[in-house]
Amino acid sequence: MLEEHSILGAFADAEMLHYLVLKAGVIVDLNVARENVAVASQARHFPGLDWDEREMRDIYGVQFTDHPDPRPLLILNGVFPEAVVAQGKGITNFIVGPVHAGIIEPGRFTFSSGGESVIHLDAQLSYARRNIEGFLEGRDAAESAWHVARICAACSVARSWSYARGLEALAGVEIDCVSELVRMTCAEMERAYNHLFDIAVSSAGAGFGFGLTRGLQLKERFARLNEVAFGHRYLFDVIVPGGVRPGMLQNRISLEHALCDFEHDVINYCTEVFDNPGVSSRFAKTGVLTDEYAHAYAGVGPAARASGGSLDIRLDAPYGAYREMAPIRMQRSQGDVAARCHIKRDEMLDALRLIKAALHALGDARIPEPKPLIVGAGNSAMVTEGPRGAETVYVCCNAEGRIERFHAISASYRNWPLVIKATQNTIVPDFPLVNKSFNLCYACVDR
Amino acid sequence: MKHPFAASLGIRHLVCGSCNGCEHEMNALGAPQYDISQYGWDIAASPRHADVVTVTGPMTEAMRNAAHSTVDATAQPRSIVAIGDCAVGTGAWCNVGTAGPGAGIELAAEVHVPGCPPTPDAIIHGLRQAAQLLDLRSRRKR
Repeated sequence: MLEEHSILGAFADAEMLHYLVLKAGVIVDLNVARENVAVASQARHFPGLDWDEREMRDIYGVQFTDHPDPRPLLILNGVFPEAVVAQGKGITNFIVGPVHAGIIEPGRFTFSSGGESVIHLDAQLSYARRNIEGFLEGRDAAESAWHVARICAACSVARSWSYARGLEALAGVEIDCVSELVRMTCAEMERAYNHLFDIAVSSAGAGFGFGLTRGLQLKERFARLNEVAFGHRYLFDVIVPGGVRPGMLQNRISLEHALCDFEHDVINYCTEVFDNPGVSSRFAKTGVLTDEYAHAYAGVGPAARASGGSLDIRLDAPYGAYREMAPIRMQRSQGDVAARCHIKRDEMLDALRLIKAALHALGDARIPEPKPLIVGAGNSAMVTEGPRGAETVYVCCNAEGRIERFHAISASYRNWPLVIKATQNTIVPDFPLVNKSFNLCYACVDR
Repeated sequence: MKHPFAASLGIRHLVCGSCNGCEHEMNALGAPQYDISQYGWDIAASPRHADVVTVTGPMTEAMRNAAHSTVDATAQPRSIVAIGDCAVGTGAWCNVGTAGPGAGIELAAEVHVPGCPPTPDAIIHGLRQAAQLLDLRSRRKR
């Protein structure tokens, strides 16, 4: 039943193991009763599920008969999993982190290098783990949207949207088309500022200072637009269960004008970055991620689409206003830093197109107040295309509308193994560049 | 020199389980609109070079030892600045699950910058307060 390109992730609860897959635009929950016996590992056949199954083992004590990696995934009770390192003559092993030299989230990277080349990289995450899923159990589902929006800032809108859709399905509430247009606008604003930031830090990784400084300047302009139009610089709480936060998009004409100015500047900026010979030579053929690997590891988002993948949730499982306003599917096959950055540039410009189309469609329509939700018993899994790919949220509620199980599978969670693989074909000084071309988050991976 | 710290602050950033919203705003300090390098301030690549440690997040179990080691590695005088509601002790993740009460509380921060996330202007204001505290302290010693 499982197929690589359709895997969204897997998790456990007290009674079941859940394997979520996307089939013909619908999420299917292939669940297996636990019955307290060791079960066969799916990660042996679908390596993308390696982390998911290790997390099930760490938190829910699920035993697998033949899982390929016996180590824990998470740092629990002060026990730090040992890194896998290469051994042999001429090999140097060195550790970076968990505290890094810049403004970066915590993670421990253990490199094995032979001369300049990275032979093996071991990434230990979970330093930012707060046990959010355990905390949310027993809490009011609708009120928890405020917490869900704060799991990770960089993909806050996408996760809030998945969560809101889940609760709306359980409450049997339909969202009006005006609110759907506003939701899409917010999601595309989030995609645009994230992709812009990724291009800026990737050019920093290539040693192009102008690319970073000018990129940060444009991103700051974008954050100010977010503040004025949506009330928050990083769009927290813009999507709430039942609709959107009241009071947004008061001055749509000035936002449209500002976006036109912005688009002009951002196109010029991209030309400066991508036409720079130094940048383009550092970007090209660096950190190549083969399509076989991206496919086998169930990669998602722009990173997978830069390695020949095609999955874009907005097109393959359309939701909200994307049913009427389709984005363009961006695809490349080279799988290097250049391909990832080009995809992000194209998607950023397409996001601006979608925002303008949505504002045009909105006109001066009044945005309705969020609908009150009476969340019923049941479970729901929803997936939304965030800046880094599929943001899946599973929520199971009881009859009082309280959360029994919450699980978020972030695009970064799916793609971290891809970063590790892409680094293994490169030299040590290129790690920051390769890493930034993915620019994955840690907060939503660790939760 | 009258204000050695206010004119050359080395900042070490320490993430202890934040949602990365505060990191977005810390990164904005390098944008031309704020450009902290005009004050002689810089993000230090090592705690050995830091006058200020900025901390974010509620403090996770896994980061506790590394956070204390980072602070211990800085030279005196130094100041700790809590950035954002979680570090200050009022945020979404304080005392949630296995998280602590706030990284700024655990590490006894002198300056608190609230906000979810705080604006770059608020962060700069907090850093200036830390620099003034350090200048006062070093003047007393001389």
